[in-house]
Amino acid sequence: MMFDSFLQQVNLFFHAFAAQLYLTNILIIAFATLMGIIIGAIPGLTATMALALLINLSYGMQFDLAISFLLGVYVGAIMGGCYSAIMINIPGTPAAAATALDGFPLAKRGEGGLAIGTGVIASFVGMLISIACLIFITPFIYKIALKFGQWEYFLLAVFGVMICGNLSTGKDPVKGWVVGFLGFFTAMIGLDKVYAYPRFTLGLLQLKGGISLIPALIGVFGISEILIVLEEEIPYKILGKITKIIPSWKTIYSLIPTAIRSGIIGVGIGAVPGAGEDVAAWVAYDVGKRSSKQGEKFGTGCLEGVAAAETANNACIGGAMIPLLTLAIPGSPPAAMFLAAIWLHGVQPGPMLPIEHPGFLYEVAISLLIATFFMLILGLIIAKPIASILKIRREILMPIVLPLTVIGAYAGGVRIFDIKVTFFFGILGYILRKLDYPMAPLVLGIILGPLADISFRQALMQSRGSLIPLLGRPVGIVLLVAIAWIAYSGFRRTIEYTRKHTQKDTGMIQEG
Amino acid sequence: MGKMDKMAAADLIMGLFLIVFGGIAIRTSLNMKVYKTFLDAPGFFPFILGIIFIFLGSVMTFSSFRRKGFEQIKQSIKNFQIIYLFSNIKFKRVMILIALMVIYIFIFIDRLNFIIATALYLFFTLYYLKSANIIKIIFISIITSYLISAFFTSFFRIPLP
Repeated sequence: MMFDSFLQQVNLFFHAFAAQLYLTNILIIAFATLMGIIIGAIPGLTATMALALLINLSYGMQFDLAISFLLGVYVGAIMGGCYSAIMINIPGTPAAAATALDGFPLAKRGEGGLAIGTGVIASFVGMLISIACLIFITPFIYKIALKFGQWEYFLLAVFGVMICGNLSTGKDPVKGWVVGFLGFFTAMIGLDKVYAYPRFTLGLLQLKGGISLIPALIGVFGISEILIVLEEEIPYKILGKITKIIPSWKTIYSLIPTAIRSGIIGVGIGAVPGAGEDVAAWVAYDVGKRSSKQGEKFGTGCLEGVAAAETANNACIGGAMIPLLTLAIPGSPPAAMFLAAIWLHGVQPGPMLPIEHPGFLYEVAISLLIATFFMLILGLIIAKPIASILKIRREILMPIVLPLTVIGAYAGGVRIFDIKVTFFFGILGYILRKLDYPMAPLVLGIILGPLADISFRQALMQSRGSLIPLLGRPVGIVLLVAIAWIAYSGFRRTIEYTRKHTQKDTGMIQEG
Repeated sequence: MGKMDKMAAADLIMGLFLIVFGGIAIRTSLNMKVYKTFLDAPGFFPFILGIIFIFLGSVMTFSSFRRKGFEQIKQSIKNFQIIYLFSNIKFKRVMILIALMVIYIFIFIDRLNFIIATALYLFFTLYYLKSANIIKIIFISIITSYLISAFFTSFFRIPLP
């Protein structure tokens, strides 16, 4: 029985492999990866922004081409961030922030090319690890997810927002939870899914359809980013010339343990709802620093540091796809953008996906694999010319981004109202970011809100308002315990944060 | 005054806002129609969210109160710091950029052709940001808006506003 199932999966894999290997698809992936690398390399244009800007190009494509295109952009953009992190000490994407710690000192020493080469190869290894994990782990999660009932879905939605809020805020997890539940609330706007009753529509006809996901995402990640980048002028210059790019075999061989360890960390963190590539890179960098024999050299221009961060941030992509494909929960903000795009094309990820679209998982994996090879080749080829792209002034580039976000918001539903929604969420995102609120829980809340609402109500109706049936569901109990633990540890961090700052303030007053 | 101190005041305002917001959410959800039981009603989940907002708002208010958030607000009002905010270069820059976006999204796009609306927006924004000399700005505004329009409509057949 198990062997039959295995053979069926192998058959699906090769079928998807053959289906994906045609010229148009390969060219689309190459183009998308290149676009992703370029946008990811430009400071201020993040990987999520790259997807937000290029999502509109996928509207007119066939479904399989659109998927390949978006995955190419995603893979390219996460890697592309390392160029600016290394050459100008400004990470192109938040995922490359840890890369700058060692990459920039290397560039100052004239070894920027080598740092970029290491970053590109490490990203390649990270992608290979994550694709392997995606292929082997996802079918098992599908089987578990098929047993999920209403209680499990409700608790999973709450767990997603809670863990995302906890991980995406450094000091005060309450802020992450606040925006996560605000996301839930945003999802309540519009007609109720069960009785078609209008909720919080303020009498506006346009709000009856609810807040469209893509315009909200574009606003939160696009417009707020434009304002953050343009609010002050930060001059930067490119240090040193890019000479030797590809590291020696000896160097590559010495970095293999770091890459494997960071790859596994990246996949693991990617699979946690909403955690994202930046968290993966920082954790892998920290673990690398602690476990390396050259730990004291981290931060001074060490190729191992670049490899740790870059492997993990790209490995996060495959990890983020696991909860996305099995439970429709994105593992990172760019994955949320990808989820919104595939919803728009009429595909509903979740446990029923292998039944409705049997080869979809492998099509995603093969597209990621092709994009990974293009990322390696193009990444190494364009390492030298990318310097001229980094010279483009942000004061010219960022205003041009706005019309692109406007098109992205409009083209999905062809409604002017969606552009206004984008603007509103852009301003909201800007204010919240200035006040240290993370954006990932907000997005995750908007995505998971309808699931939490419907499954909670249906679960309570089935149990006639009793919570006792939950005690007979092992997965439900595990999720409940996990939520309780996250809440407990989060509130403890908030209390410690408050205590620390109360003592600091009191000390300051006494000194004053 | 450090960054953390400023956050205490902002957190206090946010905490109070959440308490009020939660109260409104509860009131609105209780007024929603109940079809079978309240557990199944459209207002049930927003009601729960309202309670969560009040709880989280209270935690934030308490935390920021302990971090001297209230004293900072009093100090800010006393020292007219809100007036200083309006003379802050960063604040002014963001406000002008938002105003340009408002004009583009709420006035230009509704009334003008997309190419003209975009060219005008780019011209004024690039001019304000002193991104290049005036000739270059005119050139960039016109060419970019035309290229964006042509690229999306002809090449990808995507509708424009």
